[in-house]
Amino acid sequence: MPDKSISADKELQPADKAFEWPFQAMRNRQWVDSAYRWAVLRKAFPQHPATWFQGIDSYLKAGRYKSAKLLIDKAKSRFPNHPSILILSAQLFLHQGNTEKSETLLRKARQKHAYFLDTWLTSAQIAEQLGMLDRAAKYYNKACQCRPDRPSPFIEFAEFYMRTGQWELALERWKMLRNAYPQLSNGYLRAADAARQLGQSKFARQLSLSYYYGQDIFKKSTIAHKIHSQNIGWSKIIWFLNLIWTKALYNLRSEVHRNYLSYGWWILEPLLHMTVFYVVFDLLLKRGGENFPVFLLAGLIPWMWFMKVISNCSASILLGQNLILQVGIPSIIFPLVSFVQATLKQIPAFLLLFAFVIAQGFTFGSHWWALVPVVLVQLLLTIAIACSIAAIIPFIRDLTFLVPTGLTFMMLLSGIFYDYRGIYPKYQDLFLLNPMAFLLTCYRDIIMKSASPDFVSLTKWGIGSLFLCVFVFSVYRRLRYVFPRIIME
Amino acid sequence: MEPLISLQNVGIRYKRGNKFFRKAIYFDVLKSVNLNIYSGETLGIIGRNGAGKSSLLKIISGILKPDSGQIVNNGALVTLLALQVGFDPNLSGRDNAIFGGMLQGFSRKGIEKKIDEIREYAELGDFFFEPVRTYSNGMRARLGFSLSITINPDVLLVDEILSVGDQYFREKAEKTMVAKIQSDQTVVLVSHSVAQINRLCDRAIYISDGTIKAEGNPAEVVEVYRSQK
Repeated sequence: MPDKSISADKELQPADKAFEWPFQAMRNRQWVDSAYRWAVLRKAFPQHPATWFQGIDSYLKAGRYKSAKLLIDKAKSRFPNHPSILILSAQLFLHQGNTEKSETLLRKARQKHAYFLDTWLTSAQIAEQLGMLDRAAKYYNKACQCRPDRPSPFIEFAEFYMRTGQWELALERWKMLRNAYPQLSNGYLRAADAARQLGQSKFARQLSLSYYYGQDIFKKSTIAHKIHSQNIGWSKIIWFLNLIWTKALYNLRSEVHRNYLSYGWWILEPLLHMTVFYVVFDLLLKRGGENFPVFLLAGLIPWMWFMKVISNCSASILLGQNLILQVGIPSIIFPLVSFVQATLKQIPAFLLLFAFVIAQGFTFGSHWWALVPVVLVQLLLTIAIACSIAAIIPFIRDLTFLVPTGLTFMMLLSGIFYDYRGIYPKYQDLFLLNPMAFLLTCYRDIIMKSASPDFVSLTKWGIGSLFLCVFVFSVYRRLRYVFPRIIME
Repeated sequence: MEPLISLQNVGIRYKRGNKFFRKAIYFDVLKSVNLNIYSGETLGIIGRNGAGKSSLLKIISGILKPDSGQIVNNGALVTLLALQVGFDPNLSGRDNAIFGGMLQGFSRKGIEKKIDEIREYAELGDFFFEPVRTYSNGMRARLGFSLSITINPDVLLVDEILSVGDQYFREKAEKTMVAKIQSDQTVVLVSHSVAQINRLCDRAIYISDGTIKAEGNPAEVVEVYRSQK
């Protein structure tokens, strides 16, 4: 039999804080314990009806009908006109199988004690137990009318409809409870259960959320914004390029702000490099020659562009692991950001080169346009090599250690501080198979000799680099789901 | 009802001890997981550390591909919100927010329009313009959460993000999340707080040892989780 009324209704009087002790056992459905506790309290408060009637109730629920009967008889002599006598006796008869007698007593109670809540609740519960559902509903309704100032009859009534599967009626009752007692959880959470049974999951959620967070959350609108879908199209490509550009700019900004000389380093660094080479090769070794500073700068600055990109890109995917594992962003973005970042940093150095060359008396003319394809080929070549290295390193991290060595080796073989024409002629063709050596020659031909570069070879390198780029990009696409794995493992 | 995303017998394994001359050892993180995610629902995921919750989210969000079984996504755009959003410690909060917003699909202009709202919501004051490396964990989380509420993907995956920051911000974040849930956002929520799962979710699953041990009503699933603790 339901007993939700216990906690909600049997009100405590201020002097009777002690009653909390047995009530606690009743809430935990420890009926034997509660019967014992009430017996103890009966000694202390024999004049208080609760100690008797709650004790009887505990015995009934514990199934100790004999003890219940004895206690009812004792209580009868003490409180002859108390409605609980009739009600509890009716319950006892019901437990003993005497429904007729039970009903007679309840009818009497209903006539004599219509103002007493338990009269109606017990009548309803017993009617429900006997399968007379219409009658039970009527009694629950009476209970609600009898004590509209208490939540328990509403709860009992709604729970009755829940038990009998009349979800819509139950929802109505829960709503009444909600309106009268907005702070009680049942009105929301149990109503949500009913709504769920009716398949109204949205309403169910609204009910339970409004219990926990209050009604006002439904009025608030979010500042959220629908983001565009994952279609691959021009807008997606522009978005992607913009992403790379933005990140590269931000990286540069944060890098610059950490140094005292900030942007000054962009010029100072190539100058320092050049000074070192100049001192060693021109002053100490006397290996330079005519116009050695220009020769050196024209080789060094394009080389530094290449070198900076490669060394920044090599570990870029590993450094981007946080993003790869959380946003599912294509890994190619990381070497590309490093590329853009390193390239932007080299622009002042290139301007320095041109200014220096002109200051040294070399002519600036239309033949300088040939620099455009040279720079383009270097750009493609650098992207292709940088992205390839960046893709390999997550798989074999040990290669990180080889990158600086490889770059040094390549630098020595690119003829930055010497002219390749000075090496054995039979090795010269082999030497120019190093694309950087070839490109540096092109730069020098244009800048220092006002000559056209070897366009045939340049085109070959350009097409080769383009193919390599396309190939590397397709590898990145293919490895899209492999990179996050390899980074995690 | 057709699910937005459906996982069929999904399994995932990670390689461990990957060195030269040594045989790789595999470690099964998820074993044959079947799960449907329906439009508009809030699904809770509970389980102890290492049970495979985060891997499951990575599968759902499409960052990882399962090693066995398959995932069917009926065109839903999924976003994963995690505590450790990939912030660059050297960039300012503002720059991180702009880049983060772009990563989530915003255009640069689109996110710049939102930046004041994000700043206001995060309550970082002038710290918003300082590098993120100077932030406390709570401040980072606040920035991450503010950024994440500005987006509205089809499915939002939330990994422990509601349990960060101080009490005040947690409540604010949870309320915002509720408003999102209420606006029919599909949400998959990972939380160690069973109370939160109970409050927010329509349905829950309990994962242990890479398999779904219980599924259904949050209260019942939480009960199973508690009983196995």
